[in-house]
Amino acid sequence: MQAKELYGRQLLLTPVEAQQLPAGTQKLPALKVTGQQVQCLRCGSQLQRRWAQLPDHHYYCYQCLTLGRVSTLTSLYHLPEPNAFTDLPSLTWDGQLTGPQTDCANRVKAAFQARQRHLLWAVTGAGKTEMLFPGLAWALQQGLRVAVASPRVDVCLELAPRLQAAFATTTVAVLHGRQPAPYVYRQLTVCTTHQLLRFREAFDVLVIDEVDAFPFAANPRLTYAVEHAVKPTGAVLYLTATPSRELLQQVKRGQLTISYLPLRFHRHLLPKIQVTLAPKWWSHLQHGKLIKPVQRWLTQYATSGRRFLIFVPRISQLAIVQAAIQRMFPKMMGLTVYSADPERLDKVQQMRDQQVQYLVTTTILERGVTLPGIDVIVLGADDAVFSTAALVQIAGRVGRSRDRPTGAVHMVCASHARHVKQAQRQINLVNRKGQRLLNELSTLSTTANH
Amino acid sequence: MNCLLCQRPLTTKLTLKWVLSWQPIVRPVVCSLCWQGFRPIDRQTACPDCGRAQLQPQVCRDCRRWPTQTQFYNQALFEYNSAMQAYFKAYKFQGDFRLRAVFQARLKQTLSTIKADVVVAIPVNPATMQTRGFNQVTGWLAAGENDGWLVTLATTKAIKQATKNRQDRLLTTQPFQLAAEHPDLTGKTVVIVDDVYTTGRTIRYAAMVMLENGAKSVIGLTVAR
Ligand SMILES: [Zn+2]
Ligand SMILES: [Zn+2]
Ligand SMILES: [Zn+2]
Repeated sequence: MQAKELYGRQLLLTPVEAQQLPAGTQKLPALKVTGQQVQCLRCGSQLQRRWAQLPDHHYYCYQCLTLGRVSTLTSLYHLPEPNAFTDLPSLTWDGQLTGPQTDCANRVKAAFQARQRHLLWAVTGAGKTEMLFPGLAWALQQGLRVAVASPRVDVCLELAPRLQAAFATTTVAVLHGRQPAPYVYRQLTVCTTHQLLRFREAFDVLVIDEVDAFPFAANPRLTYAVEHAVKPTGAVLYLTATPSRELLQQVKRGQLTISYLPLRFHRHLLPKIQVTLAPKWWSHLQHGKLIKPVQRWLTQYATSGRRFLIFVPRISQLAIVQAAIQRMFPKMMGLTVYSADPERLDKVQQMRDQQVQYLVTTTILERGVTLPGIDVIVLGADDAVFSTAALVQIAGRVGRSRDRPTGAVHMVCASHARHVKQAQRQINLVNRKGQRLLNELSTLSTTANH
Repeated sequence: MNCLLCQRPLTTKLTLKWVLSWQPIVRPVVCSLCWQGFRPIDRQTACPDCGRAQLQPQVCRDCRRWPTQTQFYNQALFEYNSAMQAYFKAYKFQGDFRLRAVFQARLKQTLSTIKADVVVAIPVNPATMQTRGFNQVTGWLAAGENDGWLVTLATTKAIKQATKNRQDRLLTTQPFQLAAEHPDLTGKTVVIVDDVYTTGRTIRYAAMVMLENGAKSVIGLTVAR
């Protein structure tokens, strides 16, 4: 094992690998057992003694098994991060940031320079990644070690090529569970937050993208992973379009600084969520019928040819909804799709290519898929499968293009639900900030014209 | 509590029948969907020698390659399908010892239907014990430690089972012996418990040791075949 492979890492090694270690390698316990408490020191989980038990008074962690099992039979191996980087990369991206984006990018850079814990609340479709570039360029030029992590593999897969293109003279390390390539020590890393559990005080700058992404939103291990992977003197930047209550509380307590980007790149406000209360939407569907308001919206789409997405809480409801639509609008073409659908990619592509007018889907399309000019209908938005964050993301599918920066977001609820209200409130809040920014911008441009 | 296999919340439904039966309530540890992934083997039609799932109760092709052994047969609980493969991957190779609970009740219940004088588990070798930290078979039956009186000879750990083909496995010589202190097997019926019956080599060699030491008959009991 080479020293480089252990810089800033905390690795679980086999006895054979542990026989030949570079000088100075630290051997750290993997589990802490005190009285009734068993805690995993890699992922931070407090474990139930009963379940964590192995024969012979040994213990293991059942929460981070996919990274290889840690137990009282094993240790973690670590070398302090020396920042041994040569050929410091500079920014090769030649795109332009808008005025508000530039302000935000400067704020991000300042947070890196001051080694702050910072939250950037940027609306869906604001162009978050580009706003990172100036700050990242500064950090890399300083010889700092940088990671951009996300709870979701698909976000990492989308980020990696964009960062690689923006810093073309260096090689970006990409780490996630589906990556078979061996680990290489690099200055810039893109990884899942799960992979952060293999790092210890490695990064001077750590960016967490889509921090509130399903399904890790309420995962206490995330905070632990971040705090252990970043150097005590490092900077952490959280990026989100839908901050959780926990994050906002950290802002209130002064543990996080915050900045907003409330406007999309095309400078329009977010479409508002329109709630329709219909206690019987589902019983109507069970009789093959759509409730009146939905009929009305679909009639408009049938005439205008506008594309739309219908979200439902459960996979079993997909076919029923589509059958009801087909009965009323036999000429309108549509498909159903869910996350584990083997034809998922193909169906989404058909929607992109405008071969079909609509998709009936479960929550999976909420992120990453951009379909210009669409409207969105959520049936049963009050169902617990839709979190506040998910609803904000779903609403964020609408109005993404410069050509049609507006659109309708209909949410049909059987009853009032707090998370629907919260989603409305979040959107209204950023829109108020966005309106203020728009007013400032228009004052600026009037002054400039004089 | 969540399902040990898919992590989804478990909903325990108490039926009236259960309540009236006055039986202790065995809390399920896996959800019904995950449990349905395991295919139980029908003993009526299984191979009488190795317990393989079949449509007709005749000695299967694999078993015809073994010398006739009237004092031994194997009984298997489930088919070795993809659900079982995933289970063993998580239990044995990832080392999630919690998963012993999945087959604990089922295996103990089956054992209680077999009239045995002595029950012994196939041991894991010391190197595995060092890294995995438990014996997967006694995990189902007891505390997860080797039984102690059936031991592996040191030479067998040189080559891992998985890297050997069928011929190699059949040719390997007796890997087991009894420890100096062991129960008297004379005239006894011994049940040997193992995780999977694949070629039958492991459990048949263990059976041979028992018979050589005076056992009257040996029954193999495996979770999968
Ligand atoms: Zn852990
Ligand atoms: Zn399950
Ligand atoms: Zn057979």
